[in-house]
Amino acid sequence: MSEVFVGLIGIAVLILIFLMGMPVGFAMGLVGVAGFCYLRGLDAGLSILARDVWTQFSSYSLTVIPMFVFMGSIAFASGMSRRLYDAGYTMLGRLRGGLAMATIAACAGFAAICGSTNATAAAMGRVTLPEMKRYGYDDSLATGCVAAAGSLGILIPPSTIFIVYGILTEQSIGRLFVAGVFPGIVLSLLFMMVVAFLVWRNPSIAPAGAPTTWRQKLMGLTGILEMLVLFALCIGGLFLGWFSPTQAGAAGAAGALIIALIRRSISWGGFIEAVKDGLRITCMVMVIVTGAMIFGHFMAVAKIPMELAAWVSGLELPRAAVMGIIVLIYLIGGCFMDALALITLTIPIFYPAVIALGFDPIWFGVIIVLVTEMGVITPPVGVNVYVIKGIATDVPLETIFKGIFPFLAALIANVGILLAFPQIATFLPSLTRY
Amino acid sequence: MVWLWAPPLYDFEMERLGRFIQRLSYWLFWIGGAALVGMLALTVGDIVGIKVLSQPIPGGIEVVAFLGAVVTAFAIAHTHVVRGHIQVEFVVMRLPKRLQAVLAALTSLLSLIFFGLLAWRSYDFGRVLQATGEVSMTQKIPFHPFVYGIAFCSVVISLLLLTEFLRALVEVVKR
Repeated sequence: MSEVFVGLIGIAVLILIFLMGMPVGFAMGLVGVAGFCYLRGLDAGLSILARDVWTQFSSYSLTVIPMFVFMGSIAFASGMSRRLYDAGYTMLGRLRGGLAMATIAACAGFAAICGSTNATAAAMGRVTLPEMKRYGYDDSLATGCVAAAGSLGILIPPSTIFIVYGILTEQSIGRLFVAGVFPGIVLSLLFMMVVAFLVWRNPSIAPAGAPTTWRQKLMGLTGILEMLVLFALCIGGLFLGWFSPTQAGAAGAAGALIIALIRRSISWGGFIEAVKDGLRITCMVMVIVTGAMIFGHFMAVAKIPMELAAWVSGLELPRAAVMGIIVLIYLIGGCFMDALALITLTIPIFYPAVIALGFDPIWFGVIIVLVTEMGVITPPVGVNVYVIKGIATDVPLETIFKGIFPFLAALIANVGILLAFPQIATFLPSLTRY
Repeated sequence: MVWLWAPPLYDFEMERLGRFIQRLSYWLFWIGGAALVGMLALTVGDIVGIKVLSQPIPGGIEVVAFLGAVVTAFAIAHTHVVRGHIQVEFVVMRLPKRLQAVLAALTSLLSLIFFGLLAWRSYDFGRVLQATGEVSMTQKIPFHPFVYGIAFCSVVISLLLLTEFLRALVEVVKR
């Protein structure tokens, strides 16, 4: 059996045991070790197991994950999501569809201090869904807009997906982070345009909210202010080269904790919950990244990435068409698989091919994040949709998925915009020092 | 044949062992929690040291990296207890209950094999590091206690997976 054939069998077996319900990190580790043992001998395979796990677990560059995850957990436990929504509400609530637009703006704001889609959707969903229900918003619009805008969590920095992509491809996490800023703003505006369009077509789905006083508007600004301070501290610090990624995450987490203590918005119990939440998410991400590393070593000895890169480079297709196919594969894969699992499985395989075609690695990172965002809201495995379903228990899943589709169109439009104008993603990274 | 001996094995004692392992996982989880808070404090201390005092904490980076290993290794078992590790569930959810139990037994067994191997090889790797006296560059902190820690945590999650495997087998037999 050729090495490539063994690699292909490994991928097939891995997908099979994924579908059987084995935790994806464990599955990638096991298949990776088994494949490595088959190709390089039992002793070599078992040696890489202990060494890879130790190297990954004790890697300083991976300590960026717990720090940014912890920052998001503290921001959530201390009620920053509520204050961001209040700020958005006082500005936009008076308009038709204003609550939905305020939700999108608040999600974009929370995304600037939290790096995960489901945490953003959960944090904002708990705050915004009862409000939109109270004002008689259509269930489909309300749930669809939070689920979709929650996906901004991984595009606007910090972002767990950018971190994992950066680690897998050895790209600068700082440059990836800033690359997400403009596409994130463009996407937020596109989401708001979707709301405006839907309300224009059927005004009854989103009635105007109650008016607010200037005093309330000014008070609401403090919610934005604390988010801006945190964003400026950690992402600004990273952008200017003051901090390494781990230090930026730690500065953000400590900053979030200090703000929460000054505002007295976090209790001891809340802090404990933030630690538990941060620890659980960190462990989940680290196990997947470690499993992917072991599996990646198996793929490397099976020569799959190199063969794929050579095959794709030799295709008689334009570059854009190949990129279109890759995006389509991610879109379809994202429907059935968790985003993080899909990325850690496929990036080591596709990345060399993408680079061989001459695409910018930072730009490709942004594209990957955008297709991941589609994955978290498309049926049947749209994690954000299930998160929202967990909050809005009386709304059927079909209604939420129906509400998602107009926002999915905005995401696809954003991919198109980035394909036409890659500078939107690559301009800021070209200015970074880190 | 395995169906025949599964129910007698998964008795009251096994249930107690399962509960004890879950409690142990939770205690280990809190060691991971302390390491997470420690990482944050140390990194912030390092930033203050560098930016304000122009003097980083000696060996700060390597201690943070070691604490990172503690965070992940000690949280693995409890994260599994609370189903925190990502699984693809949408296919399994649609299958008959008996088949679900068969797949649960199979995936627990495969996971058990993975962590059993990891425990064994990490212990061996730790012994090699201990024998060769491998230490960190600045603070000369030995590597092997942390590698033994990974081995120990792998044993704990292996026991957890063993109880899950037996419970799933009983479920298969019952249905």
